[in-house]
Amino acid sequence: MSEQIFRDPRKTFGAAVSAIASEDPRIVILSADSGKSSGFTQFAAEFPERYFELGIMEQGVVGVASGLATTGKIPVFCAIAPFTTARPFEMVRNDVGYMRQNVKIVGRNAGISYSDLGATHHSLEDFAIMRMIPGMTIIAPQDPSEIETAAAAMLAHDGPVYLRIGNDPIPELFEPTPFTIGKARTAREGSDLTIVATGNLTRAALEAAELLSAQGVSAEVIGMPTVWPIDAATLRASAAKTGRVFTVEEHYVVGGLGTIVQEVLSGQPIPVTKLGIPHEYATSGPYMEILAHYGLDANGIAKAVQQ
Amino acid sequence: MTEAGDCRLRAASARANVLRMLRSSGAGHLGGALSCIDIVSALYFHTMRHDPADPRMADRDRFVLSAGHKCLAQYAVLAEAGYFPLEVLDSYGKLGTKIPGHPDMHKLPGIEANTGALGHGLSICVGIALGLRLSGSQGRVFTILGDGELPEGSNWEAFAAAAFHQTDNLTAFIDVNGLQISGTTQDVMNMEPIAEKLRSFGWETRTIDGNDLEQVLAVLDAVPFQTGKPSAVIAHTVKSKGISFAEGDVNYHYWKPKPDELDLAEAEIQATIAALSKAQA
Repeated sequence: MSEQIFRDPRKTFGAAVSAIASEDPRIVILSADSGKSSGFTQFAAEFPERYFELGIMEQGVVGVASGLATTGKIPVFCAIAPFTTARPFEMVRNDVGYMRQNVKIVGRNAGISYSDLGATHHSLEDFAIMRMIPGMTIIAPQDPSEIETAAAAMLAHDGPVYLRIGNDPIPELFEPTPFTIGKARTAREGSDLTIVATGNLTRAALEAAELLSAQGVSAEVIGMPTVWPIDAATLRASAAKTGRVFTVEEHYVVGGLGTIVQEVLSGQPIPVTKLGIPHEYATSGPYMEILAHYGLDANGIAKAVQQ
Repeated sequence: MTEAGDCRLRAASARANVLRMLRSSGAGHLGGALSCIDIVSALYFHTMRHDPADPRMADRDRFVLSAGHKCLAQYAVLAEAGYFPLEVLDSYGKLGTKIPGHPDMHKLPGIEANTGALGHGLSICVGIALGLRLSGSQGRVFTILGDGELPEGSNWEAFAAAAFHQTDNLTAFIDVNGLQISGTTQDVMNMEPIAEKLRSFGWETRTIDGNDLEQVLAVLDAVPFQTGKPSAVIAHTVKSKGISFAEGDVNYHYWKPKPDELDLAEAEIQATIAALSKAQA
């Protein structure tokens, strides 16, 4: 891993979208009192006619986004993850999904990254519910540069996208490369087992692989920033090579990346162990401590693999 | 032929189209379709800039039926306007039809949004209105909400947003037929005073008889009622209007007619068409 430079995911995302939007008049930003905390302060000042503040009405915002999209605009709605997914779910399902509108929904402070604010502000089912919308693409970038490239890919993609980012500053993990939706990244090659990770936790998976290496275990790490549609080919090839798969995600162990991986590998004699948040309302506290509590830090992942 | 007289005749023909669809499917949401069909006819035959030969025409006015279960009215009027052959009406209720029980924009030309889940249409209309304004289009947006739909909270998000963003290119009709599936709107969830609520949300309102085409046309000629404000029309209507034995009877909200009942209804509508044609001649 290169020297670690930490960047704020929200500011990184907002700046990336704003830079593209400043050149593309089709892009409009929608806010449910959430735009300025999503990195759009400067865009709102520079392009007020393309920044729509709607107040705290997430159901209304999704409907408005759909209507804007029918006129050829590319709406981007970013807010706290549960309020862009669970709260307006039926609007996303009908007004965006069923109407096949080119709307970009971004859940920030996703997973348990609004750690101490408790379960109302956690988002641990968003992969599961958004995946149930036909035609929806789900992206969870793994480092700041990937937030930037994924934001560009999201805006270039013609169709609904759900992108989720966290809260705490995160380090660069990879050399920046163009983002291809639906393409996995083999972050570390190995031969004994495969760890499939997404979002912020790819970092922990890579650190766990390092710990395992010191113990003589060779772990391959597949970064899966596009959770859906998943890169089944890369997954199958790695699983066939190592014969043992672990999944790591900041999401319930049911319904998310691990479930998708199990579906892809079903019928094959390859055991899959899913690491994530148990299906319960998660505890609150400092972010890194919650991750450690649920075994989603490097030590926890390495320990699970060793068992 | 007067404008209102022409619309009245077109609305009567559209009512015949509604019955044709019911004959195809054996059942459908009759009551609300016939309470709002005069308004839908006025929109398509008098007010809106649109082209049946070019349903995606740039700068067209757009109509979204928020109360999507009343789609029999919109299908009937679109057919009458020439958006698709009348034979399509005979597929209503059948496998793979282009005219499902709630409208689908990807199946039928002329449909602008997939409505039917109540409380969605107005937010979509606010987005369309904002998008058209941002694009410099002169296009306007019209929608019909049912009075039974008003308790959906998302409507009130949209009412607030429309006024806050001064979408005076948006007009919403509230089809107040006073009945919903469980009984009267007053008994199920009383949302009166509707006009006062909308005015307090920042809309300019008018109240009319929504089955009187003179009044409907006059109110449409007057929108926007005030520059900088969205317009709302509280349209008092009669459920199942035009079929005398069904008018104002909640049992016809969703109707599974017996063949002789359908014959009776069709005879009445045909008599209305004949009388209107004679009067207009």
